[in-house]
Amino acid sequence: MKKSLRFGAAIALAATASLTLASCGFGGGSGSDDESGGATTLDLLVPSYSDNTQGLWEDVITGFEKENPDIKVNLEVQSWDNLESVITTKIQGGEAPDIYNGGPFAGFAADGLLYPAEEVVSADTFSDFQDSFIANAEVDGTAYALPLIASARALFVNNALLEQAGVAAPPTTWDELLDAATKISALGGGIAGYGMPLGSEEAQAEAAVWLWGGGGTFGDATEITVDDPANLPGADQIKKMIDAGATQADPGSTDRSPLMDIFIQGKIGMQVGLPPTVGQIEENNPDLDYSIVPIPTEDGSPFTLGVMDQLMAFQNDGDKQDAITKFLDYYYTADVYVPWVQTEGFLPVTKSGAEALGGEEALAPFLEVLPDAQFYPSTNPKWSATDAAFKALFGQIQTKPSQEVLTEIQAQVDAG
Amino acid sequence: MSTTTDTSSTQAGAAHGRPRSGGSDPGTGRRRRGGRDLLASLPWIGPALILIFGVVLFPAVVMFYNSTRDISISGIDHGSVGIDNYVEVFSFPYFWPIFARTIVWVVVVVAATVLISLGLAQILDKAFPGRRIVRLAVIIPWAASVVMTTLVVYYGLEPYFGIINKFLVDVGLVDTPEGYGWTRNPATAFAWSIVVAVFVSLPFTTYTILAGLATIPGDVREAAKMDGAGPVRTYVSVILPQLRGALSVAVLINIINVFNSLPILKVMTGSIPGYDADTIMTLIFKYIQNQHKVDVASALSVVAFVIVIVIVAVYVKVVKPMQEV
Repeated sequence: MKKSLRFGAAIALAATASLTLASCGFGGGSGSDDESGGATTLDLLVPSYSDNTQGLWEDVITGFEKENPDIKVNLEVQSWDNLESVITTKIQGGEAPDIYNGGPFAGFAADGLLYPAEEVVSADTFSDFQDSFIANAEVDGTAYALPLIASARALFVNNALLEQAGVAAPPTTWDELLDAATKISALGGGIAGYGMPLGSEEAQAEAAVWLWGGGGTFGDATEITVDDPANLPGADQIKKMIDAGATQADPGSTDRSPLMDIFIQGKIGMQVGLPPTVGQIEENNPDLDYSIVPIPTEDGSPFTLGVMDQLMAFQNDGDKQDAITKFLDYYYTADVYVPWVQTEGFLPVTKSGAEALGGEEALAPFLEVLPDAQFYPSTNPKWSATDAAFKALFGQIQTKPSQEVLTEIQAQVDAG
Repeated sequence: MSTTTDTSSTQAGAAHGRPRSGGSDPGTGRRRRGGRDLLASLPWIGPALILIFGVVLFPAVVMFYNSTRDISISGIDHGSVGIDNYVEVFSFPYFWPIFARTIVWVVVVVAATVLISLGLAQILDKAFPGRRIVRLAVIIPWAASVVMTTLVVYYGLEPYFGIINKFLVDVGLVDTPEGYGWTRNPATAFAWSIVVAVFVSLPFTTYTILAGLATIPGDVREAAKMDGAGPVRTYVSVILPQLRGALSVAVLINIINVFNSLPILKVMTGSIPGYDADTIMTLIFKYIQNQHKVDVASALSVVAFVIVIVIVAVYVKVVKPMQEV
């Protein structure tokens, strides 16, 4: 009796202890291993851009740790799908990474979680960034994020399909685009003229391509203006394309990546793509006869959607600032950064990087349109909510009046 | 019950000659003994209690607490907002359609599952060569993860390369060469989700009913036969009433399970814009994943929790599953 009682008590104690230990991560006080052996540990959370991403970062870290033996870097790679929920969960648990690679950052800055960019890189590195990119990372005049990569969009055109449909030259205006796409769709056999991905994966990008191409805007650092008359021509043009049957079926719920695969298979006439698309075609269907041209706009004036991803540093304990600075300075040196950005197939954001990659043929069409790039209003703290609203709602334009969709998106943004 | 414990513990104490201190006052003595009994039982009920508190009550309390807070996009708590989050949930224009769709989802999936399972169990209960293999085949969908099963169907339905679409095009049921966008339209995507949900619910339900069938003694069926009842009459009047216990367990667990099911709808309807194919569960997911509103999502979770409890309470009250036949 006595023995079994004691044994039972021991089990109960063990169970309590394990539960208590397991719940430690909840409270926030992360018992991190900063000081193990006098080394500083940096946590680095990054999304996966391609199959190369993990290896590229590992190479960066190996090189960095060799130069700085007293600093260790922990790498965590997540998919884009999970990234935002992972970072939110980590922040809530008091375990924010020291360096984070992501998109929207104004919300973190508004909560006072980030180091100003100038405090975590040396003056030399800071002045090496292209000015327009740094300007796009500023909240109230202070940059809170460091540009990491840039991408611009351009129209990928399947030359063979254009020729079959009797279209002489790639379109430059909406009218020409509608005309060309309708002709290609008329070829039949499951071929679509224009690939229009308005599904939840990246609806905000396709929306920007059309709405901004007609002179619209999503707003600026202080105000989000989706429900704006200037956005209507673009939205109406989307409807015109869908109604004319110039797009693939069900554009409202088609995601971008699977649709791009179908373009690569040669069944879509034209679709807006990114620099890495070049590599994808190379890998999967090198025989595809295609060309890259600027995105058609309402009046043919040049325009492209620029997207910039950033690195940001979280103010966790305050004692890691030096280590973070060392790491970022190392990363942005041309020898390290240029091969990184080149392998990922994106555009460089530093002046030295642009110089080094200036002669790159695959990037030329994108570097050409980059001066006309417009960016998302990502310095607005509400951009995150806007982005989500576009992803969740914009595809309804397939069935609903365009004005109604814009109003609904604006309402969700204002409520968030 | 408590008397028994008391006596046994006293006996045990006496037998082992355990010293008793302060036994002069009978009142304290009894209280002490009660305390000791509690202590003695703690090792046995303790782990269960810890589990209930840690895994059920604590998260529920945190969920309820979060539902009254204002939590920023990056997860920082900005203080209490009272019932604002609940107001937001109920004033969401799509809430009631989503609520209705959730009920349709639960009713249709559970009803179809139970009906099909009744038939399947009846077949599997008959002795035929290779019955073991067929029984195994029925349980295999259970071994695959729900997401996996759903993804197989999802990719099968994709236009351009989906095998189901290809088949439908080849036999001439769909006349567009790239196939039909089954998962691109709310109604068809929801319908296919129901098909998948029924498919993955079948193994559990079938086996529960099969177990119920096994408990019906052979002489009852024999007696029915002797009384001249046909197969239909025997089934409806003799077998079905005896399956009541198994059926009510299967229905109850399926209701809870299907109501809380996220992965099927998330995969099948994930890329559809708007809220025309959502249930409460996918709406909670959208609040967290897309809008990062952990606070509103918590409020909706509390609402969902209450709805499940109400459904189960009504079911228990109306069907009285615990009552003997």
